[in-house]
Amino acid sequence: MHNKLPYLGFGLGLRKEHYTDILETQPAVDWFEVLSENYLVPGGKPLYYLDKIHAHYPMVMHGVSLSIGSSDPLNMGYLKQLKALSKRIDAHWISDHLCWTGLNGINAHDLLPLPYTEEAINHVAERIQQVQDFLGRQILMENVSSYITYAQSGDMTEWEFFTEVCERADCLMLLDINNIYVSAVNHEFKPEDYLNSVPIERVQQYHLAGHSDYQNYVIDTHDHPIVPAVWQLYEKAVARFGEVSTMIERDDNIPPLEEVMQELDQVRALANKIQTQQDEKVVKS
Amino acid sequence: MSSLYETQTAFLDYLMNQSPQFEQYVVGTKRFNKETRLGIYGDAYASRLIEALQDNYPATSTLIGDCKFIKMGQHYLEKYPSKHFSVRYFGHQLSPYLQKYYSEIPVLAEMAEFEWALRAAFDAKDQTPSTLADLQAIPIERWGEIRFTLHDSVHRLDLSWNVAKLWQAIESEEAAIPAEKAEYPIAWRIWRETELKIFYKSLAVDEAWALDAMRDQLCFADICAGLCEWVDEIHAAQRAVTLIQTWIADGLIVDVSID
Repeated sequence: MHNKLPYLGFGLGLRKEHYTDILETQPAVDWFEVLSENYLVPGGKPLYYLDKIHAHYPMVMHGVSLSIGSSDPLNMGYLKQLKALSKRIDAHWISDHLCWTGLNGINAHDLLPLPYTEEAINHVAERIQQVQDFLGRQILMENVSSYITYAQSGDMTEWEFFTEVCERADCLMLLDINNIYVSAVNHEFKPEDYLNSVPIERVQQYHLAGHSDYQNYVIDTHDHPIVPAVWQLYEKAVARFGEVSTMIERDDNIPPLEEVMQELDQVRALANKIQTQQDEKVVKS
Repeated sequence: MSSLYETQTAFLDYLMNQSPQFEQYVVGTKRFNKETRLGIYGDAYASRLIEALQDNYPATSTLIGDCKFIKMGQHYLEKYPSKHFSVRYFGHQLSPYLQKYYSEIPVLAEMAEFEWALRAAFDAKDQTPSTLADLQAIPIERWGEIRFTLHDSVHRLDLSWNVAKLWQAIESEEAAIPAEKAEYPIAWRIWRETELKIFYKSLAVDEAWALDAMRDQLCFADICAGLCEWVDEIHAAQRAVTLIQTWIADGLIVDVSID
């Protein structure tokens, strides 16, 4: 499972509020990321629009229900549906979160963090391998925002845990730049340390988003435009990782498509600027 | 050292029951103490699921009042925690729940039943509707044996309250109208035409019976016989044909076949 996944450019999260605008205006978005669970339904409007939009744009899938870190068995029914959807839309890749969402058959529908322990690394890496075997492809794991620190994590950092899981499972990384910033504030680490530690070759995609600031901590609400600190971190990511497929993930308080497109244009311009500077450095040296 | 399973059990117990045991698993800082850290997850658990419930039941929420809906949602969550990977199905027990715990306001359970049927029709399986040509392709002498399959989006409800009118007024943000109970329950059908349009319609008693009979896989001859309760024997077949023509035109039937 080492086929290189393509670079897709600059994308958006597909949201129902934008369905008709997308079909009518065909905006210059390179690709769309779809929330898998929204389309794991028998039929109707969600799949109707998905098919229509898929006819014009490449798509990737992003899920919230894999619960890869749970002590419950993997939900094979869910995985079967995920696989069928990936075929329906020729998904370039499938991602989910490095977290757990439920236990004993109960779903909390939240991206709950894992303790950074050897037991958790083994557990998650093994399950990612099972998922990859079933889906027949490498998947992407995304870093979640977190608000608690487990006592049992000891000195292990989030990025050490994340890297070790992905290395052992041989999966790829989806870096949510906003989530790195949120966790950095909440757990008092330098976000640059995170970026500088994850392996370059495993980073396949970025999420960019905004959050809510509560002074002593920040909450990942994904309902605001990208904030200056996240823009700065994104610049550093581009400088380190080079060309990585990037998208804006807005989950709530969805603005008009035109507004998100303007933000995406800023992302594209910034990435191109940093990339050009990097290329010039290479030429000079 | 706790195992991953024990840690997760304690965390979930904190989310669902506010059990304090999980606090020992967590460390905080002076700036951001562990009570606040845990509270973020505790608050998010209930609020996310109640918000999902409200998304699926906007009219029920308006009827009961948004604040009371939140209180009701917390109790519903205790009784029926989500067991599906998709939050879309979290509200599947709301109507029976309201029937049991809010029996003093019976219109609520009916509104929830109505909204859940609309939700089910919204994303029911896509199926190609049958046409009159499909029906006409069957030799007339074998029509008595025909059995029909309904589109997955078709739902039959019997409502004692003016739920459809209430729903329409709330949906259109019109002035509130009072909940009124009918003298006897009215039959309704809810269905989706093509992928996008959802409809609801009240039914005559014989149409409701015939639609239920069709769903129960009664053949055309048995449906005609059953209709004799409302029409003369010589008019029963004509009534059945009229109903079937209407249902085909509305896209309710997806298969017409004989054994």
